[in-house]
Amino acid sequence: MTASDWLYMVLLVTATALTRSTLVLLGNRISLPPRVESALRYAPACALSAILLPQLLTTAQGQLIGWQGSAALWAAVATTVTMWLSRSMLLAIVCGMAAYWLFRAVGVPV
Amino acid sequence: MPNMPLMRLTAAEKAAFKDGFVDMMGPAPGVLAWGLVTGVAMVKMGLGTIPAAAISITSYAGSAQLASLPLVVGGAAWWVIWLTAIVINLRFTVYAATLGQLFAEAKPWHRVLLGYFNGDVTFLRLLAHLERRPDEPHRFAFYWGAVAGNWLAWQIGSLLGIFAATQIPVSWALEVAGTLALVAVLAPALRNRPAVLGAAVAGLLSYASRNLPLHLGVMVGLLAGIATAMAAAPRAGREAGA
Repeated sequence: MTASDWLYMVLLVTATALTRSTLVLLGNRISLPPRVESALRYAPACALSAILLPQLLTTAQGQLIGWQGSAALWAAVATTVTMWLSRSMLLAIVCGMAAYWLFRAVGVPV
Repeated sequence: MPNMPLMRLTAAEKAAFKDGFVDMMGPAPGVLAWGLVTGVAMVKMGLGTIPAAAISITSYAGSAQLASLPLVVGGAAWWVIWLTAIVINLRFTVYAATLGQLFAEAKPWHRVLLGYFNGDVTFLRLLAHLERRPDEPHRFAFYWGAVAGNWLAWQIGSLLGIFAATQIPVSWALEVAGTLALVAVLAPALRNRPAVLGAAVAGLLSYASRNLPLHLGVMVGLLAGIATAMAAAPRAGREAGA
C-alpha cells in the first residue's frame, strides 16, 4: 500500500460513511424536504454521466470518436437497451461485452 | 434487536435473520458478478491487488469505486475524487433518511452500522419485505440477514475478480465491463425528463471541459447537470415513479 493507495481508501471510506450513515444516525429527527430529496435523486445520474460520457466519446488517444463511433460506445448502447428491457445487470453487462468484442472484431476503433 | 447483542439472538430473531439472508439469494448472482467486474477493473486499471482488496472490503461502494478509478489513474485532485464518490453515493442518503425512520429505536452506533452496510439491493428487499409483512417484529434481524447475504456476495465476487485479474488476457478488455457496469446503473435512472436533461448536460459539459486540470471538468458538468435537473423538476416536489 503506497501513500496514494491509503489516501484513496480514506476518501472512499469517508464518502461511504458520510452518505450512508449520517441520516440514519439522525434517526427520525430529520426528514428530507421534497426539493432536497429530488436533488439527491438526480445527482447520481449526473455524476455517472459526467464520468462516462468523456470516456465514451473519446478514443484511447483522447480524440473525439469518428462517425462510426467506438466499440465502447456501442457496448454502452447495448448495455443500456438490455438494462431497459430486462432489468438484469448481469445480462446487460454480458450483452455489452459481446457488443464490444463484435464491434472491435469488425474494425470499429476501441 | 435494537441493541444488538449479536451473539444472543432469540430463535425468532435467528429465523428472521435467515429469512433476510435467503431473501438475498435471488439477486446474489448479479451482485457477485458486479463485484467480480469491479474487482477486475480496479486491478486492470492499475491498482495493486492488496490495495484493491483493502479498498473493496472497507469502502464497499461499487459504483463509487468504479467511477473514481479513472480520476485516480488520471491524476485528479483529491477533492474531485472525494466529491465524485460522495455524489455517486448520494442515492444512499435518500435511503438513509428512510432507514433512520425505520430503525429510529436503535442505539446511535448501531444506526451508523445499519447505514454503512446498506446497499441498493438490501434497501429494496427490506422495503418489499415490510410491504408484505408490515408487522414484522424482527426487522433488525431480517435486515442484518439481507446485509450479510449482500456483503458476502459482493466481497466474494470482488476478491475473486481482484485476484483473478492478472490471469485474464489483456485482449479480453475486461476493464470495459467496469465501465459498462456504471452504464447499467445509470440506464434505469434515465426514466424522466429532469434526469435525462441533467445527465445530458452533465455529460456533455464534462466532455467539453475534459482538458481542465485535475479533472475539474467532471465537477463543472456535475454541478451544471444537477442545476438543470432541478430547473426541469416539477415544482410540486416528489415525482410520480421517482
